[in-house]
Amino acid sequence: MIQTQTHLNVADNSGARELMCIRILGASNRRYAHIGDVIVAVIKEAVPNMPLQRSEVIRAVIVRTCKELKRDNGMIIRYDDNAAVVIDQEGNPKGTRVFGAIARELRQLNFTKIVSLAPEVL
Amino acid sequence: MLRTSPQLSLSLPLIIHTPHTSPPRHLPFFSPPRSSIDIHLLLLPGDHRFRPSPSLKRPHDSPSGGDTDEMYDDLLDKYGKVVFTRKDQKSPIAEADDDAESLSFAVALAEVACEVKAADIKVLFVKPLVYWTRFFIIATAFSRPQIDALGSKLRDMAEKKFKKIASGDNKPNSWTLLDFGDVVVHIFLPQQRAFYNLEEFYGNAIPIELPFDSQSPFRN
Repeated sequence: MIQTQTHLNVADNSGARELMCIRILGASNRRYAHIGDVIVAVIKEAVPNMPLQRSEVIRAVIVRTCKELKRDNGMIIRYDDNAAVVIDQEGNPKGTRVFGAIARELRQLNFTKIVSLAPEVL
Repeated sequence: MLRTSPQLSLSLPLIIHTPHTSPPRHLPFFSPPRSSIDIHLLLLPGDHRFRPSPSLKRPHDSPSGGDTDEMYDDLLDKYGKVVFTRKDQKSPIAEADDDAESLSFAVALAEVACEVKAADIKVLFVKPLVYWTRFFIIATAFSRPQIDALGSKLRDMAEKKFKKIASGDNKPNSWTLLDFGDVVVHIFLPQQRAFYNLEEFYGNAIPIELPFDSQSPFRN
């Protein structure tokens, strides 16, 4: 359940460390975003000497949420943090590696690039 | 970071282990594949079911810090118990058939890529590393029109000969990905290929020998 003003961790090596959601893409007045949704976010904290700077506006895909993700088979996945991966306008990730476990739902949502960079897919 | 669902929450340490495939040991990014999940229960000292044996090495006993993976494998062999097995597992013969079918499909795709003059084509057998696909094809194209031509040719061939439809990128992109389910095709521009460096990330995957020369003689 990511909404505007939610702070998220960054799960890649793009150089951003923390994001704040400022818009959820997809519908005109959407309240919450979940795993696999694209958001517009602003970088709140960045690693020094990297291409991404603080207060830059970027797009990101949500890969982990504290809110449970339910599957049809009854499995429930819940993470300890809210995390996102920074992407560009074309949908390519800006980092080269993704950290932590991500859900396989991202593949169905056409984010196979992120899945193929991830160390573990649940 | 990850919490398991309530059905799997146990007070004992829980290790998901796949006994049939050996996970890559020296690559920290990879975990064992989860295509066939057996859940083993590991009993530790303090548990009343634990019977210590003189041959058992405790973690802090090992002089060099030890290979923890092997230590856990040994412990699992001795004290592990299967508490959950997925029911939809295929027989090894059916698995091998599927592998062979995917291999022929992957090689056919690589041949088409070679015809369109893609360079440095690599086919990797990634099934031991990731559960969600079997083969990766990594190729370099030198311009967006070439990526477009390559993508549409691959899609046409897959649809006509193998009746498989790709998801993924429809427009040419600097990293174009075609997802055929068991085979995933990555087409890169040279710069992006060096940037993402997928071959290194999947360095433990088994490279498949191709029946043709995949190196472009003209460009490097």
